[in-house]
Parts: sequence; structure tokens; C-alpha cells
Amino acid sequence: MVDWIAAFSMPLIQNMFIVAAVACVLCGAVGTFVVVKRTVFVTGGIAHTTFGGVGLAYYMMSVIAVSWFTPMVGAALFAVVSAVIMALPMVSKKMREDSVIGVLWSVGMALGVIFMSLMDKSVVTPRSFESILFGDILLVGSSELMVIAIVTVLSLAIIAVFFRDLQVLTFDETHAKLSGINITVMNMVLYILMALTCVVALNVVGIVMVIALITIPAAMSNMFTDSLKEMMVVSVVLSLIMAFFGLVIAIGADIPPGATVSVTMGAMFIIAITIKTALAKVGRGKAE
Amino acid sequence: MIPIKIEGLTAGYDGRAVFRNVDLELKDRDFLAVIGPNGGGKTTLFRAILGLIKPMGGTVKVFGEEPAGSPPGIGYVPQNENLDSEYPISAREVVLMGMRCKKGLRPFYSKEEKEAAERAMEYAEVSDFADSRISKLSGGQRQRVYLARALAPEPKILMLDEPTASLDPSMKDCTYDILRKLNRDGIAIMLITHDMSSISHDVKRVACMNHRLIVNDAPEITEEMIALGFHCIPELVHIGHCDCGGHNNG
Repeated sequence: MVDWIAAFSMPLIQNMFIVAAVACVLCGAVGTFVVVKRTVFVTGGIAHTTFGGVGLAYYMMSVIAVSWFTPMVGAALFAVVSAVIMALPMVSKKMREDSVIGVLWSVGMALGVIFMSLMDKSVVTPRSFESILFGDILLVGSSELMVIAIVTVLSLAIIAVFFRDLQVLTFDETHAKLSGINITVMNMVLYILMALTCVVALNVVGIVMVIALITIPAAMSNMFTDSLKEMMVVSVVLSLIMAFFGLVIAIGADIPPGATVSVTMGAMFIIAITIKTALAKVGRGKAE
Repeated sequence: MIPIKIEGLTAGYDGRAVFRNVDLELKDRDFLAVIGPNGGGKTTLFRAILGLIKPMGGTVKVFGEEPAGSPPGIGYVPQNENLDSEYPISAREVVLMGMRCKKGLRPFYSKEEKEAAERAMEYAEVSDFADSRISKLSGGQRQRVYLARALAPEPKILMLDEPTASLDPSMKDCTYDILRKLNRDGIAIMLITHDMSSISHDVKRVACMNHRLIVNDAPEITEEMIALGFHCIPELVHIGHCDCGGHNNG
């Protein structure tokens, strides 16, 4: 039986909940735009390219001795570059989006494997593939938490300033263009936000399950809200609640936190669909 | 100044012209219907006027200026078919989007912008369902929401792409009531339509587009137009009174 008081008084556990809370706020907010713009798999592609950046960081730190090029810097570099590539008009308008996602996804992962095979493991000990791909929130240190917090605050500020433009862009791109919004720049802003969110989220659930944290709370919120702002707030709240319970279950059952958070969110999504369907049936019944 | 002046316009996509050498003027307080078969270039003409595509030849001037992306003084009502029904947005928020053309990086709309949106909603008779989710509205109600969005920034020209397509007869009447009122209030209107009844009852001039453009300065379809767009004579529809709760200004 877990001694919950002792567990919650441990700095490691407290740090884990703080990291998850900060990541959930950003994922809930940016996830709203990801869901309404139907760019879930663009986000998935960006998330997977970060593996190349993590590998490059280990290579740079161990072979070229560039100490500031941490895995998070590498992940952010690869995420932002792939986001910019995806948002370029010559790519987004002239090429098949899913093909581009496929290329970035696989090449990013492959580069990660190559860089990690070339690194000098006697100089820097890398995190395991499993830890990078499936997350290990307990390994997030205070300096990384600081970076995550700064990225989150900056991203939320960008959303606040550009909210109207992002709403017009995601609802009706033609109207956005006619309103004088620079579509290319605004798509770039949105895709870079998605990239930064991936970098923050992969600290909690790892590269493979980033999509769960970004998509599921927003998709659930979308079922029960009638405005974008409302959807964003509910998405953040749902994200925080589900991550909290996911982490509690992980501690209680002594199972991996990232995977448990993802499964908790998945289970809640199924419950939400069931409730939504039942409510729709009741509504139809009353109408008849 | 002439609201829209087009001279020798050639436009199309990927280097392939949809129409060539089109001349057209939309006059002050004009009410012009553009008819013609699908694929004849009506929507492409609109896209060129709106600055959404660059002309392959000739010029388009909106109040004397080239329309680069966001032409000043034009309100545009798109076809009512590309709505994402899952998007969480109310009719009021859609109308407010019309005010985004007023520049400025602000997260919220100003009091003046909200008041302008309210006025537009009253004009287009959508105030009663302003807080409803857009996807829950009928086709006709949704069309009027887009009309209100186009009217919110108080344009001098209104362009509508098949505003009555797939609407029932009474909803069509309501839409034309509002357009007549707008035209009387001084707004120049240009619309794409397949609706024959609107041509005889509402518009002042008719143009037929089928890879080239013929304009008649009277509200009549000429034999030349029928020959040009023969395989797509506009549909004959019911003409009746508006019974949707709005004002009948006919």
C-alpha cells in the first residue's frame, strides 16, 4: 500500500506534478488549435522528428563538447525546423501533406538513431531509447522545468496576442486572407507553437505519446463546448485533471507515468464519447 | 470613383486561363447578377476581384486600387458549403470576424467593433440566434450570418457567391429582401446566381460568364447569353413572400 502523504512530500514527486501541470496548460491551449485545424498528424510528425534533435544533442555534447546543446535544445531545433518546413506555402499548398509528414517523421527518427550510434558514450551517458520515446517525467530537472515554464508562458502570450487571427485562420482561411491576415506568417506562428508544445509535452509522456497530451483533452472539450475560448479553458482543465489522476494511478500501481497518463486520457475520451452519444439520444427523444 | 473596373482580364489557375480578356464595370449602387455554367469562370472572376488570385493579364481596380489580398470596401459572402460542423463557434463570433479587417493586434474586439457587429446582425436579421453554434443553424440562417459578417465593416460593395443555392423558396425570398434593402441603402451588389427569378425581380444588370463575359445593362437574359451559356440556363424558382419572420421590403 502506498503511503500517499510520504509520496506527495517527496520533492521528486512534487516536481513530477509541477512539470505535468505546466505541460498540461500549454498542451490544452495549443491542442485546441491542433484539433480545430485538423493538424493532429502534422503535430505527430513534428513530435517524432524531435528524436533526431535529441540524438544530435547527445552527439554534439559528447563528440564536439558543446555543453549548451542539450537534448531539449536539439528537440526544439528539429521541431521548429520541421514545423517551418510544413508551414512553407510551397510545401503546404503544392505537396501532399501526409507524404511530407511521413518523410519528416521517418528521417527525423533515423537521424536520431544514427547520431546516437555515433556519440561517445564514455563522455555523456544518454537516456535510454525507451525513456526518450515513452517519457520519464521523473528525470526532468529544475533547469528543464524552468525552460518548460518559460516556453509555456511565451506560447500563451503569443496565443493571447494572436487569438483573433488564429481563430479566423482556423475557421475560414479565405476570410482570413481577405481580412489582411498574412496566412503564411500566421500558419508559421501556429506550427511553431505546435513544435514548442511537442518539446514541452515530450518531457511528460515521451515522443511517441505526445499526441495524447495535445489531442485528447482538446478533442474531449470540443464535444461539449460552443466557443473556441471555452474549448481552450475546458481543454486545459480536463488535461490537468486527467494528468493528475494518471500520475496518481502510476504512483499507486508503480507503472510508467507517461504511459499511464496517456491511457487515462484515452479511457476518459471513450467515456466522453459515450456520454455525448447518450446526451444526443436523450435530446432526440425529447424532440420527438 | 468606379467601385470595380476590370479591363482585359485573363485569369485562371496553374498557368491555364479559365477566361480571357474580360471587361466589366460595377457602377455605384449597381446590382449585377453573374450567371453561367459551372466551370465557366464565375467564381474565378470573383477570386480575381477579391485579390485571391493574381491576374494572368489585364487589370482589376477596386476603387482605383489593385486588390492585393484584402481589397478595401468589399464584403464577401462565400458559398455555404465548406463549413467545418465540428468547429466551436457562435454566429456572433463569426460576424465579429468581419471586423478583423480593422487592423491591430489585440486579443479582444473593441466596444465599437462589437457594436458594428450587432448592427450588421440586426440588418441581416440574425440577432435572434446570435449565440447559437453556427453548425446548428439552417442553411438559410447560416447564409445570413455570413452576410452579416460581410456587412459588419460597412462595405461599399457586396459580393455574394450563390447566396441562395440550396435554400428553400421562402429563405431565398428573405435573402433577396435583405439584398434589395442594402442596394437601396447605397451598396453596390454583385452576385453569382443560378436563380432566374432574382434576375427579373431584383437585379439591375445581368452578365453571363462562360470563358468570356457578356454584359446586358438591363435585367434581362439576352439570346446571346443563352447561346453562350446554353447548356446551363438558370433554374426557374418559386417567387413568393418572405415568411421567415424578417421584414419584407420588396
